[in-house]
Amino acid sequence: MIGVTVLTGFLGSGKTTLLRHLLRQPEFSRTAVIINEFGEIGLDHELVEASTDSFIELANGCLCCRLRSDLAETIAAMVDRRDRGTVPPFSRIVIETSGLADPAPILQTLMVDPYLGGRLKLSGVVTTVDAVNGASTLEREQISVKQAALADRLVVTKSDLAGPSASVVLHRLAGLNARAPVALAHHGRIDPRIIDAGRFEPQASSVHILSWLGSDVAGDGHLHTQHDPAIQAYAIRRNQPIRAVALTLFLETLAEHCGTDLLRLKGIVNVLECPDRPAVIHGVQHVFHPPEWLERWPSDDHRTRIVLITRHIRQRWVEVLLEALDAEVSAVSVRR
Amino acid sequence: MSTRQDLICELLSESLLAWGLAGSVRREPDGGILMTSDLGRIRIEPSPLGLPFRWIVVVNDRSRGAVSLAAVLRQVRAALDPGYPASRVRIAPLPPLFS
Repeated sequence: MIGVTVLTGFLGSGKTTLLRHLLRQPEFSRTAVIINEFGEIGLDHELVEASTDSFIELANGCLCCRLRSDLAETIAAMVDRRDRGTVPPFSRIVIETSGLADPAPILQTLMVDPYLGGRLKLSGVVTTVDAVNGASTLEREQISVKQAALADRLVVTKSDLAGPSASVVLHRLAGLNARAPVALAHHGRIDPRIIDAGRFEPQASSVHILSWLGSDVAGDGHLHTQHDPAIQAYAIRRNQPIRAVALTLFLETLAEHCGTDLLRLKGIVNVLECPDRPAVIHGVQHVFHPPEWLERWPSDDHRTRIVLITRHIRQRWVEVLLEALDAEVSAVSVRR
Repeated sequence: MSTRQDLICELLSESLLAWGLAGSVRREPDGGILMTSDLGRIRIEPSPLGLPFRWIVVVNDRSRGAVSLAAVLRQVRAALDPGYPASRVRIAPLPPLFS
């Protein structure tokens, strides 16, 4: 039986960072990864170092909605390739959901599919919760409550950045899901053994999975999960490198004017001053992390790609903001 | 020049939409940009040479300098949307060569 871990958590809560850390550990050396991103282009697959043979990205939709059948078919195909020896013999699968995904329909897919049921065992649901923004996210975003309540293990991320807010998050999580052990991640790192502790037991959940499913089951038995219609995901692409100062002004302006409506920003940026080393940028609401400089481009695509998940923020505003700021910085540079 | 002014006009127009504010933006013959809304008129013009600003923002006849378009947006938002919960952060993505 192949163990399946569902890694979930709200937008920007640190799922990909945690996954990157885990995949570097010996315990996770034989891991196949499925990443689902909400948006027109995905970046996480560029940021996670894994064998392309055992790595699949499910984009253009959310696993909990229209990609459920894709998930079952994808896993079945992966297992078939493993059996035929055309991919490395992985012993576990990690499914990283999109940040807006409801884990309940995903679990149901894994549990009820007869083929998957005979080949897979659900190792657990790991939910990441951001120590900085987590408390306010849990107040505001119902889907984040569901993600935390269904967890077998909770990982509180960014504890190195949080002050007193970490204790608020821990208190809130204790009320939502006292059964799940809580691990604190420092700089995206945890003891990998935490992931394997215990096994998913829906009957033991403080919030029963079927109670979550009940409200979503329509007359035809199909699950319908509604995302907030005001939430939009889009990508900004640029062929020309961006000046470092323009990037700074761009990020600061977004943070200043968008606040909590900027649910998530992540991107890989071609910075003019350092074209061989892309900058990876992350932002969640008003919190931005220092850019991380990769040693090299992860693929031949050296364009800047910035994915934003926003509420009530038009794509055109973001595009023209970046264009105008870069043009201004360019004009100043030429004058000098 | 006109292309750059058009871009700034579009940025300001889009900013009004992004902030949920009513108003209009238009270019003026002298190179300035005029924003009008229920809360008043804002004129944005290139700073004269020799001043340590790139822009002058005139809000209801009071002039202030702005060092960048980001600063222009901050002043415009503060004038048209007083009390907006500005989130000030400092992000410095210095390339590794310099850090």
